[in-house]
Order: sequence, then C-alpha cells, then structure tokens
Amino acid sequence: MGANQRLRRRTVWLLIIILAVGFGAVITRLAFLQLVQGEELQRRAIEQQLSDTPISAKRGTIYDTNGKILAQSASVWRVVMAPAYFDDGADGDAQREFVATRLSEILGLDKAELLEDTKQNTYYVSVKRRIESTEKEQIIELQKELSEKYQKSGLISLLDDYKRYYPYSDLASSVIGFTGSEDQGLWGVEYQYEDYLAGTPGRIVSAQNGIQTEMPFDFSQNIGAIDGSSLVLTIDETVQSIVEKYMKQGVKDNQVLERGVCIVMNVNTGEILAMASVEGFDLNNPYAISDEQKKEIEGINNEYLIKNKYTEDPSTLSTEERDKLISKAKAEAESAALSRNWRNKAISDTYYPGSVFKMVTLSMALQEGVVNKDSRFGCSGAYQLYDDTIHCHNTAGHGSQTYQQCLWNSCNPGFIQIGQLVGKEKFWQYYQAFGFSDKTGIDLPGESDDQFFIHDGIEGNMYDTDLAVASFGQNFSITPIQMITAASAVANGGYIVQPHVVKQIIDAEGNVVKNVTSETKRQVISNSVSEEMRGIMEENCISGSGKNGYVAGYRVGGKTGTSEKLIDVNGDGADDYIASFCGFAPANNPQYAALVFFDAPTGGNYYGSAVAAPVFASIMSEVLPYLDVVAQYTEDEMSNIDTSAGAYTGMSVEDATKEAQGDGFNVTVKGEGATVIKQNPPTGAVIPTGGTIVLYTDNSADAEKVTVPNFIGFGVSDCNYVAAQYGLNVSVTGTASSSDSTAIAQSVAEGEQVDPGSVITVTFASGGIND
Amino acid sequence: MSTIEETSRRRVEDYERERRASSKRGRRKINFSLLNIGKGIDMPFILIIFVLLAIGITMMFSASYPVAFYEIGDSYYYLKRQLIFAGIGLVIMIAVSFVDYHYYHRFAAIILGLSYFALMLVLVLPSQAGGVHRWIGVGMFGIQASEISKFAIILFMAHWGSRYYDKMDTVKYGVLPGAAVFISTAALLLLEPHYSCIVICALLTVIMMFVSGIKIKWLAIGAAALAVIIVLLWVTGGLTYAMQRMDGWGQALNEDLDRDMWNSTWQTRNSLYAIGSGGLFGLGLGQSRQKYLYLPEPQNDFIFAIVCEELGLVGAVIILLIFALLVWRGVIISLRARDRFGKLLGIGLISHIGLQVILNILVITDWLPNTGISLPFFSYGGSSLLTLMFEMGVILSVSRTSNIEKA
Repeated sequence: MGANQRLRRRTVWLLIIILAVGFGAVITRLAFLQLVQGEELQRRAIEQQLSDTPISAKRGTIYDTNGKILAQSASVWRVVMAPAYFDDGADGDAQREFVATRLSEILGLDKAELLEDTKQNTYYVSVKRRIESTEKEQIIELQKELSEKYQKSGLISLLDDYKRYYPYSDLASSVIGFTGSEDQGLWGVEYQYEDYLAGTPGRIVSAQNGIQTEMPFDFSQNIGAIDGSSLVLTIDETVQSIVEKYMKQGVKDNQVLERGVCIVMNVNTGEILAMASVEGFDLNNPYAISDEQKKEIEGINNEYLIKNKYTEDPSTLSTEERDKLISKAKAEAESAALSRNWRNKAISDTYYPGSVFKMVTLSMALQEGVVNKDSRFGCSGAYQLYDDTIHCHNTAGHGSQTYQQCLWNSCNPGFIQIGQLVGKEKFWQYYQAFGFSDKTGIDLPGESDDQFFIHDGIEGNMYDTDLAVASFGQNFSITPIQMITAASAVANGGYIVQPHVVKQIIDAEGNVVKNVTSETKRQVISNSVSEEMRGIMEENCISGSGKNGYVAGYRVGGKTGTSEKLIDVNGDGADDYIASFCGFAPANNPQYAALVFFDAPTGGNYYGSAVAAPVFASIMSEVLPYLDVVAQYTEDEMSNIDTSAGAYTGMSVEDATKEAQGDGFNVTVKGEGATVIKQNPPTGAVIPTGGTIVLYTDNSADAEKVTVPNFIGFGVSDCNYVAAQYGLNVSVTGTASSSDSTAIAQSVAEGEQVDPGSVITVTFASGGIND
Repeated sequence: MSTIEETSRRRVEDYERERRASSKRGRRKINFSLLNIGKGIDMPFILIIFVLLAIGITMMFSASYPVAFYEIGDSYYYLKRQLIFAGIGLVIMIAVSFVDYHYYHRFAAIILGLSYFALMLVLVLPSQAGGVHRWIGVGMFGIQASEISKFAIILFMAHWGSRYYDKMDTVKYGVLPGAAVFISTAALLLLEPHYSCIVICALLTVIMMFVSGIKIKWLAIGAAALAVIIVLLWVTGGLTYAMQRMDGWGQALNEDLDRDMWNSTWQTRNSLYAIGSGGLFGLGLGQSRQKYLYLPEPQNDFIFAIVCEELGLVGAVIILLIFALLVWRGVIISLRARDRFGKLLGIGLISHIGLQVILNILVITDWLPNTGISLPFFSYGGSSLLTLMFEMGVILSVSRTSNIEKA
C-alpha cells in the first residue's frame, strides 16, 4: 500500500470517527438533554429565573346572623429572608452571624435555628409571620443596616400578612374555632369552612436575573391573592351572650365539674342560634389554659403519678427519672386541658339522655298507636324485670297513670311499659328515624357517633332489659345535638331538620357564594302526634316535672332529665350525673328549642329539674323577647305582668308624674328642673306593673347609681319589696306561681352599679323535683 | 529535543532547496487569484466560514448583551469588539490564503520553539483568575500560549510527516518525535495548568501520527498503556479523587450540592438548564433567560448552551451540521492537496476545529469537566478568533493547490 493511499484511507477513517462518533455523541447528548430531560431542566431553570413571592390572601370574616363581626383578619407583616444573597466565604459567615443575631433579638427567635436558615440556598425562607408594627419598624432598621454595612438589599423583606382577631374573645369559642400559625383553620367553623375562608394566596411572579434584581425589560406577572369568602353564621351574638351568661352562672352555682352545654336552635330550619360549651376559651389566645388548670398542673406530684399509672412506686425512681416523669405528666395534662377547653361538648360528647328521651319514647308510642286514652301504667316505685329491679325516683310509686301522667311524673316504670308496647324492633327503627344512629351532619368538626345496643355484632339488637332502660333514656349514648334535633322534630310536626351554623357564604366582593337552605331530612311522626306531644310537654312545664322550665309569659314545652354518668368525676365515691333540660317555645307554634346540659353538677342538687330547668327558663326569658316571640300571659300572670314604660320625657314634672302613675308605676323625681329630660327605664322598656319610674329633670343626678342587691334565695314578694326599696324593678320569670318558689338567678349580678329604675330579671324556681 | 529541532531545521532547508529547484513548475500551478472560481481559493469552504461566522457573531451578541449591559453598561460591548476582531480576522485569513503554505516548512521548528518559549513565559507572568497561567498580554492584545502550541504541534507533525513519509512506520521517525513534542508540551501545560489543552494536543498528535502513517500497533500500545493507567487509578481510588477534584464534574444537577462545590458547578448547571429549556425548537432568537446573569460568561465557552436555549435542538443540530460540512470540505481540500505537507497540514487544522467543537459541547453538556475549550466562530475572544482565522487562511492556501472543483 502506497503512502498516499494509506493517508487517504486513514483520513477517511478519521473523518468518520470525528463526524460519526464525535458529532454523533454530541447530538445524542443534546437530544437527551433537550428532549428527555428538557422538562425537568426547564422546570428548574424557571424556578430560579422567576422570583415567586407569595401574597397572603386575606381570610374571610365570620359574622353572626345580624352581621356582627365574630372573627376578622387584620393587616400585619411577614418577615422573609433570601439567604442565597449572602456572600461566600468568611464575608458570608460574618453576614449570616449578624443577620441571625439581629433577627433573634428583634423577633425573639432561636438564633441557632436562624443561623441554619441563613445557610439555605434559596431566595425564600419565611422567618416569622404576623409581626406587629413595632417589630416591623425594627426590621426596616435592620434592612437599612444591611444595606449600609454590607451593601445587601433584598436579604430581608417584609410581606403583607394577616392576623386573626376575635372581638368577642371567648364567645361561642368552640363553634367559631381558631386558626394556626399558617393562618389555617384548626377548629370550629374556621376549620370546617377552611376552603371558603382561606382564599387563594397570590404570587408575584417576575422574571429576575442571576443576581435577583428584576429585569428592566421583561415580564412580571402579578397573580393577585383572592381573599377568602366570609361566613354569616346562624349564631346570634345576643342569644349566644345570653346563653353564656346564664350557663356560666349555672356552672358556678351548681359546681359543675365537666362544663355545661347549651344549644338554641330554630326548630323549623335547623339554624343554631347559640351553641355554648361553658367554660370555653379565649379565641385570641387559644393555647392559654385557665389559672385553675395551671394550678392543677403545677401541683402534679408523686400521688398523681401513681394515680394516673405513670409509675407504681415513685420512690424506686431516681430523682432524675421522677422529674422526667413529672414533666411528661405535666405536658400531657396541659394538652389534655387544652383539648378539654376546645372540645365542643354540644356535638363531641355523648351522654345518656335520661328522662329527656321520654318525649321520644312517647312520640313513638303515639305514632304507633300503642297507647290511648284508656291506657294505664302502674307504678309501685319499682319495676321488676326478670332478676332486675328498676326503681322509680318516686320510691312510693306513682300509682296508676295515663301516658300523659307518665311523662309529667317522669315515671320510669311507666315508660318501661310504654317501651314494651312499642317493642324492640320498632324502638330501634324509631331510634334511627329520629336521627340518633347517624351523625346529624352539622357543619362543625368533631361530631361524635352515638353508642346504641349491640348484641351478637348487630346494632340495634336489644334485650328486654335494654329496651326497658332505653325507654327512659339510659344505657345508650347520644350527643346533645342529636337530642335537640330529635326534640325539634317532636315539636315541629315531626320533621328531622338539618342543624347548621352557617347560613350564608359571601365572597370578597360581596357576592353570595352559597345560601344554606333549610333542609328537612324526613318526617318521623305525624303532625297530629307532634301536636299532642306539644300539649303534653307544655302541660309538663306548667304543672309537671318540668315546671321549673316555665317561662313567664310564654307557652313553653319541655322535659327534664337526669342521667347517670357511671363515672365518678370528683372522686367522692359516688357516681356523677348529668342534669339536662330540653324544651321549646311557643308550645302552640314552636319556633325555638333549647337544650341545657350540665355535666357533673356537685352543688348538692343534680336533678335536671333543679339544675338545668331554671337555667333554661332564665335563658328563654331573655332570648324569646329578643327574638320577638309574642308573649302570651296566663291570667295568673297578669298580676305580675310587665308593662311598657311610656314616653314621659319633655313633659312637665306634674304631667309626667300623673301620666306615669296613671300607667301604674311608682314615680321618683330626681333633680330640681321643671321638665323631664330623661327617664329610666327608657320608653318602651318592659317593667312590672307597680314598678318604679325615675324621672330626671336635670343632669345633677346623672352620676347617682344604685348598687344591685342580692335577690337569690328570696321569694317573689320579697324580691319585689327589696327592689322597691332600692328603686329598682324586678321582672319575674321562671316558676313564680308556686308557694315555694325562690329566686335562683338574677340578670344583673349583686354589687353591680346601675341607674335607678333599671329592670333586673329574676328567675324563680320551685324546689327540685325528682325525675 | 535539540537534536529533533536541528534535524527538523536541516530537513526544511533540504525541502526549500528542492522547492526552489522546481519553483517554475510549482508557481505556475498555484493560482493566487481570489475571485477566479475553480482556480483560486475554495469557495464552498469560505462560504461555510462566512455562514458560521455570521451565525456565531449573531449568537455571541444575543448571548452577551445582558452581561454587557449589567457588567459594563453597554449592551454592544462584546459585539463591537467581536466585529472588529472578525474584520481583522477576515483580512488575515485572506492575506494568509495568499501565502504559499510551503513557506511554513521552514518555520515548523521555529514556531515549535516559540511555543515552548511562550509556555515557559506564561509561567513567570502573573496568573489570571483561578490561579492559572495561560495568557500572554492582557485584554484585547492577550493570547493564550496554548493557541500557539496547538498550531505548533500541527505544523511540526505535518512538516515531519511529509518530510519522512517513507519512514513513518519506524519507531524512530514515526513515534518518538511526535511523542517527544507532545510530552514536552504537555509537561509545560501541566504547570499552567491547562488540562483540556493537553487533551487536545494529545488528540492532535495522535491524529497526525495516524494520518502520517505510523503503525497502528503503536497507537494500540499507547491506548493500552492509557487504559492500564486509568484502571490502576481506578483500583487505587485515585480516579475518584481526580474526578472529585475536577470541579464537581457530573455533580451539576445535584440538588443538595455542597456550598463549596456550588460555585464550580454553577456554570455547568446553568448550562444544562439553558440547554434543557430550549427543547426541540428553542425559546426563539434573543429569548434566552439563562443569559441574564445565570450562566456566567455566556459569551465565552458556554455560548452554545445559549444557542441551544434560543434555537432548540433543531437549531443546534443545524449549526453542528454546518460545522460537519466545514470539516468535510476541509478534509476534501486536504486530500486533494498537491503534496503531502498540504494534506497533513489541512487535515491537522480541520481536525483541530472538529475537536474543539466536539469537546466544547461535551463540556457544556457536563460530559467533560469544565476546563475552558472555546467554540470556534462563536466564542468571544480576539486571540482565539484571530488564530482561528489564520488557520482557516492556511487551509484556504492549501485549497489553492488543491485539485478540486471549487464552485
């Protein structure tokens, strides 16, 4: 082979190698990167090319039914850091140290953690949310320092943020709920309606160059935050406040250990006007526990460790181990205390409904037609079923009773017999139909399931003894919300309505997103049965076991209940009880139902009639007038009837006095003037006939106040006498007709300062009736 | 080494005597007219050069204006200079094409000597960024010593291979001179250090030896020796260490990159982002985002990443095909050259272009460590563009004697 030929051949080989292997490899590699890996690489490229700054969306407002603000977000700031701006090497370390130190000083954060954050290789680290304006000013100072000292801008920035405020702090706390550190709803409607309330955070996406300044000739896209929708609750702040006022009083008076529950519901629509678990918690500070709880946790000692099975014998442990156990116990006790405070007992707790359930049992019997006017149910004080003896609260026995009397007497043996007439299968069917076997589906988190009899793995499979105790509400557990829903059905013509707390959702522009309509699930009893039940229950509040729930001027129907908890809460060796009352008004045309429920009252009396019914009466006596339910007085009550104060202002003293006296009031004139410039109570205020009207003729007596005396424990006439002495008016509510009626609550607490002539509503109750 | 240089000088003198003796015949055959199609320089080749230069400058401008804007304040900074260099380069290319390449025979040894001198000179001159010693002079008037070395090796090997074409199958003439030149050059490059240039020099030496006709077994033995060394390094763990030392080579897309490694892989990583962002058809001319200070020095070695981003795979392949055409035409010119020196010189120079293109793209795609290999016609830089245009001029000079249809 000649030299030239070899050169030619080898050159061709070389060309092939360069073109085929070299260029081939290069093109293959490019194709792989651009087509196969392209998407991922492009994503990562865009990630760094676009500065993506989140904009917080303003969380929606929560209003009560009348538009009062229950929860609102206010503007604050969020501190963010772009640690990728730090220089490398020793300079960068010094900068990081400086920033971490200053930030920890200003924001009170852990310096070591901040230092870790500064080492990240990103442009967005959220340092702290929701800083207030004082901290914001300091951050701006820090920004200035950074730009002077290190010529760094953009290392630390401030973004808009929002903070949640609850103007009524602990009002309806377990219903409204609260939000977490990232503004996310954690409890209550804040949690339930998170999707609506939260809104959509926006982003500022802008093209930026490699040194993160925005490019002068490129795009910036502002995807605005969509502010969250607002909620209008069915909760009425006024009703809720009334409810909580009396419930707090009731919890205190009756030394209730496990809090109280009250639900006020519109029986026809299922709207919840008030739902209270008392005591609640401060929504503005949900992680705070009460001083009592704190004291209890502080007091954790060896005995506590043994009692709560942390250890069998603390003396065998070293001090260190013991301290560890104690701090563990404290931490657990604190979180238990928090969840206890947050717990919405109205939907999360299950309890034996007790005698309140008798209205359901009787409704079943009437609907099935198994009882009639000729039916008689005997009670000898106890009922023998196989080997069990079931006692009536009246050990002497109620004798022979009609079914109505069974309810008025709240007679257990009577109801055992009614239950037997209904039968186990029907009982279970009605139990389901009344909605006890399912959650009500109320729009709140944490609703519990009922617990009914299960035998051989079949739910609703009852034994004879099960039926016997179930007919008076024992040995199965339901939630308060299920009970009031069923009671509403008994009252409203037999319709199971959907209880709900949100009636409307409004977007940030004010457009209605959703109107929650009232939903009726089914009819469980006929209108006529419901009507009969209303009559029976109204009578029960007039003369029966529920008479402490009577609200003067209104036709109310209701039923008391006392159920065993089978748990000894306070450790006094006796099981504790739940005292409850469930009623509705007006009895002839029910509009509102209320359930009052005290868990473990230990103030000496634990009967629903003595503990819960008067609170029900107090609440309804304020709530019903507020809700414009027309009062219908009985003739008996006309003596105690309240009259509206006339308009006396502007008249001469003589004319005004004459007119007021003519209206049936006592008149007290304050001041030296000739004309009445002010009156108390004001025009239209409801005061008892024979009450006192104070007429002011000048401003000299403005500052004069009256200290409210104690009315509790006195009878009606004593109260009126005391009130007259003080120049105050008493509005009587509750069971005032009985000879043994005594005041059990007053709307304005003893010792408060009020204007002369002010009306104090006093609730009366007769002695506890066993049920 | 001195013996080789002396020998080489003697052989050049021999050749010159021969050439002068046959000058009448030879001069008649070489057509120096510029426009006389079919007889002067090779028009397809020069056309491809113009196309590449036009695309190259356009892309260089597109890639460089954000950097120029941010860092210098004048978006046209690099464009203006590159246009001046291109203008000068074109003049040089045309001028060099008029120079009878046989003239370089006598300079082979001198240029090799100059290469050694330059390589030693940079070592005593102040170092550049990164502590490397590569440049002689500064700014517009700077030149990389290695640019001279690569040309010196090609020229010397062509000279030697044409002089002793009949003895290239011997160890003494075929292997030893080339090996000696490469090893001595590589030793000096190692001190700079400039690893990528060592690789290019090695490949150029091997190519020249191969084409000159040395026995394949010597290349096989060399390859085997290299393989043994690599395996040994691998077994002893030295290879891993070396790879780790290579500025985070292959680590470019590692998410949890150590902050120390971050800077060194930053350029490669952003190069990959740019290439990947391009996809099939690219973001459009001028639409690169990565050139906005993400990809450092986008106008230099990594310019092809911006090309990929803006023009996509399609644009990149078209440009590569134009390069392939250039190589192809260069090889044709060389093979049809009138004599062996022209053939070897042309093949060496055109191989150099091909190698630069391939190695450059392997670097920007993270298949080779980031070690500074520029892309011919595209990368910004006065000395490299002028050197390149000079080399193109030499090939054009060869084409004047080449027995091909030049339409």
